[in-house]
Amino acid sequence: MTSLIYRGCEFPTECFYDVDRDVWVRRDDDGCVTMGMTDPAQAQCGKFVHIRFKAVGRSLQRGQSAATIESAKWVGPFPTPLSGEIIATNEAQYKLDILSANKDPYGTGWLIRLKPIRLEEEWQLLLSHDRAFERYRAKITEQNMQCYRCAD
Amino acid sequence: MSFRVIDAGMVNWLDSQVIYHAVASAMSEESEDTLTLVHPDVPYACIGYHQELEKEVDLEYCAAHGLPITRRQVGGGAVYLDQNQLFWHIIVHRSRAPYRIEDVYSRYLTGPVNALRAMGIPAEHRPVNDIQVAGRKIGGTGAATIGEAVVVVGSLIFDFNYELMARVLKVPSEKFRDKVYQSLREYLTTIRRELGADAPTWEEGKRILIAQIGESLGQAMHFGELSEQERMEMASWRKTLMSEEWLYQAGGLHRHGVKIAESVHVREAAYKARGGLIRATIRVREQTLDDVTLSGDFFIYPQESIRLLEQMLIGAPLKEEELRERAISFWREHQIQAPGLTPDDVSSVVMLAANEKELSL
Repeated sequence: MTSLIYRGCEFPTECFYDVDRDVWVRRDDDGCVTMGMTDPAQAQCGKFVHIRFKAVGRSLQRGQSAATIESAKWVGPFPTPLSGEIIATNEAQYKLDILSANKDPYGTGWLIRLKPIRLEEEWQLLLSHDRAFERYRAKITEQNMQCYRCAD
Repeated sequence: MSFRVIDAGMVNWLDSQVIYHAVASAMSEESEDTLTLVHPDVPYACIGYHQELEKEVDLEYCAAHGLPITRRQVGGGAVYLDQNQLFWHIIVHRSRAPYRIEDVYSRYLTGPVNALRAMGIPAEHRPVNDIQVAGRKIGGTGAATIGEAVVVVGSLIFDFNYELMARVLKVPSEKFRDKVYQSLREYLTTIRRELGADAPTWEEGKRILIAQIGESLGQAMHFGELSEQERMEMASWRKTLMSEEWLYQAGGLHRHGVKIAESVHVREAAYKARGGLIRATIRVREQTLDDVTLSGDFFIYPQESIRLLEQMLIGAPLKEEELRERAISFWREHQIQAPGLTPDDVSSVVMLAANEKELSL
């Protein structure tokens, strides 16, 4: 996996991004997508203490929450940038290690898999890695941020 | 853009939670950022978003005493809320809020901290999100993202019913409850405790809070009303917050012990020693054993020595070796006879209680 990196924040080139929602999306071979939280998002959120996923089979519209995350001092949604049906969640991984997103946000820390229903239309609203990187670079600089990962 | 203030006054207890959920979920980038001020008409218990109701609150006690309960969409632990607390909720669109959670708290807690100082209380923001005066908590706060809004919530605690707070919590033993009560009295303070006769009136306190929040944010504060959309959201949130599905969500987060303030926790553990069960109910402060009660069905002679042993352990850093050494010295000094109970058992049970475990079920 190759990535662009700025102040410790990683952005894999194989992913597309919804910068406003802090979500990365990857197209899978079966026509579905895998998504998760970006590196800056996990860093600003802090260590996860709990996550509750919406059920597999649930249909979501773009922007609706697919999971609710609690870190030490914050609760917030994980919103999907694409409409579709949840076909899998990474609940088992998070039961094993609640810090999965804080350790490996683009790998073992993925959050949901979705079968999109308006893929071609809504995919246009996502940013490629290089355009997302420019947006994030400005945001990270403005906020004087640094990304960190939890150690094993 | 100016900052809207909604001073809702005394409301139905449920609406004291509903109001900020509604304003937040109705918020868009074009909306005004808003401060809501409210206090409930009756006391109630409120759990954090990911908690499990029956694990955190004594449901039987609440039912028997007519105490309603709800769950909020903000994290943290179970709390007791009543008419003596002025709830403030700062609700801003996410595009105008800092990105990092620490910065959210730094920015939006400055106003409430300065309000307490303006009243004559030397309060400070203790990161991440406590407001304290001389090591005692005087305000708990929380933050969440609801819809497109970032919400920071807290309260001005004019007065507090410590006994009722300790009573509504689900605790493993009555000794634990006693420890929670004592710890709350010691580590949670109020405006009236700090200022006595010099405490501001409710309306003065509210006025100071609004002014200081405005000044800290560099915003002109103006009074406004809920919009039609916000009222509709309130109707929807009332149904949600009272639904069985919302209240009794399973698969929640159960934290070990009770948090009294930042770095102050009450915890308990029991350990089967050869001579019987030994229980340690402890208060931890900054990784030090701040208080301990030892109980159980073991035999120890002289009988009163157990209280002396507790005093010997208080102040020890939470390290097994240190606790063990103190217990060994005590055994030797007081010529303790305790069949089947050793200094190792004492240090082990204290460390078991102190061991920080977050159980995510």
